[in-house]
Amino acid sequence: MKKSTGIILGIIGTFFLLVIIIVGWGVSTYNGIVSAETTVDEKSSAVRADLQRRSDLIPNLVETVKGYAKHEEQIFTELADARAKLSGAQTVAEQEAANTEISSALSRLLVIVENYPDLKANQNFINLQTQLEGTENRIKVSRLDYNKAVKDYNIRLRRFPSSIIAGMFGFEKADMFEGEEGIESVPNISF
Amino acid sequence: MHCSMSKRIWVLLLPVLLATTFILSGCEEDEALKPTERFFVNDFADVIKPEDEDTIYSQGVGLQEKTGAQVVAVTVKSLDSQDIRDFGVALGREWGLGEEDKNNGVLLLMALDERKISIEVGYGLEGGLTDIETGIILDTYAIPYLKNNDYSTGIQKAYSAIVNEVYIEYGLEPEEGYTPAEEIRNRDEDEENIGSFFGAIVPIILILILIAVFSSRGGRRGGPPFIFMGGRGGFGGGNFRGGSGGSFGGFSGGGGSFGGGGSSRGF
Repeated sequence: MKKSTGIILGIIGTFFLLVIIIVGWGVSTYNGIVSAETTVDEKSSAVRADLQRRSDLIPNLVETVKGYAKHEEQIFTELADARAKLSGAQTVAEQEAANTEISSALSRLLVIVENYPDLKANQNFINLQTQLEGTENRIKVSRLDYNKAVKDYNIRLRRFPSSIIAGMFGFEKADMFEGEEGIESVPNISF
Repeated sequence: MHCSMSKRIWVLLLPVLLATTFILSGCEEDEALKPTERFFVNDFADVIKPEDEDTIYSQGVGLQEKTGAQVVAVTVKSLDSQDIRDFGVALGREWGLGEEDKNNGVLLLMALDERKISIEVGYGLEGGLTDIETGIILDTYAIPYLKNNDYSTGIQKAYSAIVNEVYIEYGLEPEEGYTPAEEIRNRDEDEENIGSFFGAIVPIILILILIAVFSSRGGRRGGPPFIFMGGRGGFGGGNFRGGSGGSFGGFSGGGGSFGGGGSSRGF
């Protein structure tokens, strides 16, 4: 009698211990995934902020260029359209498409500028170009950081055994930024 | 039989594997640039004169002691076909310039073969040291010298300018005679605005005004910023140099991070 009670208690105790361990592991794994996901969101908005920052430089840039090259209307329209697309972008894909458009319009603008030596020597313009370069660099860096965060998060989702928890709570894989070339195609600014 | 076969394969493979890992790890170590013992000045391209190194080092030490911010100068021979800004961000992060919670590090980086120079600004100083201001520092203090292959002076002057800007950001007094980049910027933009305004409306009046200005102020110059250099040079001396002569090492990165702020120029 006493002996069997002891055995039963032992089994129940072990059982509870196991449950506690498993639940404890589950909770900490879940929390780990959640914080990785939060990091991804955070880095994603950093990218977005940097894209916006670049977009915000454009009106000033256009204003300055217009002072010297009024008749290049087409490129100004293209830039305005691309900007509008970026601010209307909902998904990462739309954001990417709009951003590529801004990049290519900007690089064409800088090619046009080559024909206006006075503009190139204008201090306002030099400052805007410096800002543009800095912002493009920030975009590059924030994308790199975003991709790193996504990688860490996705590994958690796929690696066993944390994949069990991820599956149970329906975490979804995050997408990396592809085509960094878009950024790099902006011509290098030389003075 | 099978067992001994696979054992034999392992015996053959093991040295190969070990050698491969050794070589690979060796390669990696080669690539990672390590700070010199004088943390604030790392002249890997060997272009900075000893006295300029001393100046840079003591200014760097002084700045860190007063503000906690770290400004580090690095010269490399080649970037190995990397973009200077990518290289700069990676290096700044790798060395962890600035304090970890403040990210107040700045990296002045020059690549000799590529003839490029850049300033990378840590997250925490981006507000005080804007891209435009770093561009002005490069244009005003570094480029005129670098163009004449006087790398040592160019780097030392740009370094001093950055240190002074950080002092201003921390609400401390910059060195005597230092003109803040913001002032240079405003002056340049004012000059430009005045120039284009008059140029567009009445060029003759502009000429008259210029003549008036020149005759009354006795040679105030209105050219590009670097023309002013001659008058403003030579602030790298006295003040700081005595500070910590002869003390080596003891400084390292505090774990600060970089987000891509700053600017670069070719020369």
